[in-house]
Amino acid sequence: MSDQQMAFYIDLAACSGCKACQIACKDKNDLDVGNMWRRVVEYVGGDWTRSGDAWVSTVYAYSVTVSCLHCQDAPCAEACPSAAIVKRDDGVVLIEADRCIGCRYCEWTCPYGALQFDDETGKMTKCDFCADYLEEGKEPACVASCPMRAMDYGPLDELRDRYGDLAAVAPLPDPSISRPAVVFGPHPDSRARGSASGRIGNLEEV
Amino acid sequence: MGLHDWSLIIFTILGQMSVGVFLILGIVHTIAVRRHPIEEVERLTDRALLAIGPVLVLGFIASLGHLGSPVNAYLSLLNVAESWLSREILFGTLFAATGALFALLQWRKIGSFALRRVVALVAAALGIAFVVTMALIYMLPLQPAWNLWVTPLTFIVTSLLTGALAIGVAFVASYAYERKREGADHAALASLLYDSLRGLVLAAVVLVGVQLVTVSLHVTVLSAGETSAAVDSAAALTGDFGVVFGLRLTLAFVGAAIFGFLIYRSTIWATSQRTIGTLVGGAFGLVLVSEVLGRYLFYAASVPITI
Repeated sequence: MSDQQMAFYIDLAACSGCKACQIACKDKNDLDVGNMWRRVVEYVGGDWTRSGDAWVSTVYAYSVTVSCLHCQDAPCAEACPSAAIVKRDDGVVLIEADRCIGCRYCEWTCPYGALQFDDETGKMTKCDFCADYLEEGKEPACVASCPMRAMDYGPLDELRDRYGDLAAVAPLPDPSISRPAVVFGPHPDSRARGSASGRIGNLEEV
Repeated sequence: MGLHDWSLIIFTILGQMSVGVFLILGIVHTIAVRRHPIEEVERLTDRALLAIGPVLVLGFIASLGHLGSPVNAYLSLLNVAESWLSREILFGTLFAATGALFALLQWRKIGSFALRRVVALVAAALGIAFVVTMALIYMLPLQPAWNLWVTPLTFIVTSLLTGALAIGVAFVASYAYERKREGADHAALASLLYDSLRGLVLAAVVLVGVQLVTVSLHVTVLSAGETSAAVDSAAALTGDFGVVFGLRLTLAFVGAAIFGFLIYRSTIWATSQRTIGTLVGGAFGLVLVSEVLGRYLFYAASVPITI
């Protein structure tokens, strides 16, 4: 295991919003309907505005795929009363199921809604960065599945050198809350964090 | 709003009420022994003290209902170093243990008065820590409706308000029991009961005033909040949950202020026992329902900053 913080890279401009990553994740982890370790949030906005005799469209939409972002300051791990959420040396945040008491306190602290409660087992679950695949030197299922090659993963420092340090766009919250291990490549239409110009277009899906 | 949240509502209210009863009982005892013989005072206070235990235990049992894996509940102390939830359980357990020790000493009159007083003060401090850590659990940056001074203040006021009126009920019940016993001096006990009830309802009126002002300010502060989650929480309180919110405020006012006024007058006019008992029970019942509704809103109308 490396001792560098592992992270995801998401190229928002390349993402088509197809949700292959979400489905590959569900398949790999055998998740029930409703338990989504990775969700694709659609941010939509704009309007038609009149300019002289013409109507001009400012309509836009882009997708942001979100899972547990294995935050550098994981608020879930701090909140967990039974210390069942641990951060490994490589930054991957894992839930040790046998210690989880199912109190769901972590759920209130996650800025990304990444914690998914399993009613069957009474335990909290979430993305484990495909820790077993990492061990075998394989890509995480979501990264490997992306038909647009919009995802990458690796040590956070390396991803930042390669892609920059954008850690949030609308509708994601302030990254200073938890310092998520993620780098985004901007979409031509992506709005800055905190923008109120659009809204989540697929609330019932995520 | 599932069963999950109801167990938290029951746990937080009963936990806070237990602490409130313990604290106010201490104050009542301290004031009452100046004007009444200590044996008389303890004929009323000791039984109220013993009632705290079952209430607190009931609260802890209810709290198990919000765990997906209640068999693992014993692990909840593992993260005392970082988690406010662990700390809450720690202080709750210590309050229960010290409170039970005090109740035993006091009931059996073991040890000197000074020793018992020290144990009671330690238990009171642990009880306050229990309520404060319970509030700190909710002071989360992602929950603007909770992350305000309002949370600890309302938790403390809920403790004292429900505590004061619960003691009223316990005293009335204790008095009724004592009256049935042969040879007891009813007149002295009645004067003590009336003195105590007047003090308790005065406290309840002040506390309900603080509660109503706090709850109203909460909506104002949230409406002016920087995040849309804060504004949405305020809108939920006055919009979707407007009826429950209005009912909560009305019941608190009627229970503490109007019933309080009637109790105060009755104790001066020495109205019938039955009437006073009904009024005290009514005041407690109305305020308890109001506080349960308030706690329901606390959970149901909090809009988090998340996606």
